[in-house]
Amino acid sequence: MQLTANVRPRNTFRTLLLVVAALLAALSWGSTVRASPSDDEDHPATARDDGKDDSKDEAAKTAKKAATKSLEDTATERAGTEIAGYLDSDHVAVFTPSVHAGIENVSGASINASYLVDVVSAASADIVSTASNRWQEVRQAGSLGAQYKPHDFGVGLGGSVSSEPDYLSVGFFSTIVKDFDEKNYTLTAGYGYSHDTAGRCGDNGQCTPFSVFSRPLQRGSFNVGLAWVVDRASLASVTADMVFESGDQSKVYRYIPMFSPGIAPQIPNGASAALVNNYRLPERPLEQLPLARRRFALTGRYAHRFETSTVRLEERFYDDDWGLLASSTDARWIFDLGKRFALWPHARLHVQKSVSFWERAYVSANPGANGDGWNLPLYRTGDRELGPLWTTEGGGGIKWYLGSDTDPRSWQLGFTADAMYTAYTNDIYLTSRTGYLGACTLEAEW
Amino acid sequence: MPSKGLWVVVVVLAAAASVGCSHVAPYERGKLAHPMMTADDLEGPAAAHVLAVHEGATGGGSLSESGCGCN
Repeated sequence: MQLTANVRPRNTFRTLLLVVAALLAALSWGSTVRASPSDDEDHPATARDDGKDDSKDEAAKTAKKAATKSLEDTATERAGTEIAGYLDSDHVAVFTPSVHAGIENVSGASINASYLVDVVSAASADIVSTASNRWQEVRQAGSLGAQYKPHDFGVGLGGSVSSEPDYLSVGFFSTIVKDFDEKNYTLTAGYGYSHDTAGRCGDNGQCTPFSVFSRPLQRGSFNVGLAWVVDRASLASVTADMVFESGDQSKVYRYIPMFSPGIAPQIPNGASAALVNNYRLPERPLEQLPLARRRFALTGRYAHRFETSTVRLEERFYDDDWGLLASSTDARWIFDLGKRFALWPHARLHVQKSVSFWERAYVSANPGANGDGWNLPLYRTGDRELGPLWTTEGGGGIKWYLGSDTDPRSWQLGFTADAMYTAYTNDIYLTSRTGYLGACTLEAEW
Repeated sequence: MPSKGLWVVVVVLAAAASVGCSHVAPYERGKLAHPMMTADDLEGPAAAHVLAVHEGATGGGSLSESGCGCN
């Protein structure tokens, strides 16, 4: 989070346009290069074997044409863009344009790249409660990955970067994939590492250099998964994730209101900023989170294909050593509407219990003999995503296949819209939040 | 370490995975090859980011995701 109103979206959009132009240029150059060998096909033969008749020549030419054509068809190229927007009742707005592209060869080699920009504008209750102005920030993120899977075994490598004025994250990942029993079972395993650097920017938009102030956060991620064919129309998979984080994740902008032991229990759920400021103690320490975190997740997926529709279900169980326990359930039922359209409703339910050190109103107990001095809890947070909450989400999407009659999915235009309601069951400032997310995508494959 | 509840879920899912499956030959996979049966998400990076920010839980996604300083 950056406490500044100085945002320069024009530069961001210029960068985005440059990236889109570069991607289109690279893809069109690739098509030109692939097309060039066919130019030779129609050239007349310069040396002719007198013993061969025209029909043999024609057959040879046809065979050569077929061979050249099969070489041409070895690569599948994809490119797409998404424009997404988010708005919620806590006065947070996000605009996210993104692009992605990839090339896949029948030999089993593929490469994918993506780039996105988040433009965030917020005047949430947390910000208003600190008497700060609406803040804006821009995040840019890019990733590049490659995979080689010639037969039943494959490896993948990749990296990603995410950058904000006061935050930088650099990571890499590696994966292995192995198919068993004619691809009835597929085992995957992966390891990822990222190094994050958190800094600080002031109200005037000036940021302290990372060399002067920064907090590192290291993250190691392991995952292992098994996907299998259940029957002729059903697929299932289970993935286990283990994430180990080391470093101080406390936000340098997040101040925690403290209360005396007698007042704290009387602070109601959703207490207003005015009420909190009226009853809190003078001290307002910064957030302090534990310096390490071990996170575990188990995700199951199931997909079933009916004659003209597909059901996709997902369930994730989550647990970590901060005490947060969560369940996320996601479901989509995708209906084919002829050759040209697919339409689906979407529903999601997320329920979580708070971290063990969560308090709606933190107590600064036993001050010094003169009534001054602080006696703060070791860990304290104002991050309501660490508190108890539940979110229900509903919406849907539509895809319009715009390609030719023989390959209608070669061009796809998609729209998705979701509304989400979150209830904060033990928090100050907010008891609920309603958010809306919409996205428009355009994808091409050739 | 994960709680007992998570281990129970692991065992139940492993047991479910080991039974009730039949060998399906490649030529019997017409329905499985439908584009909507792939693991690709129908929603883009923006939706994934919103969920990452709104839910304290993580996991189940791609390894290639970067961290971010978002609240």
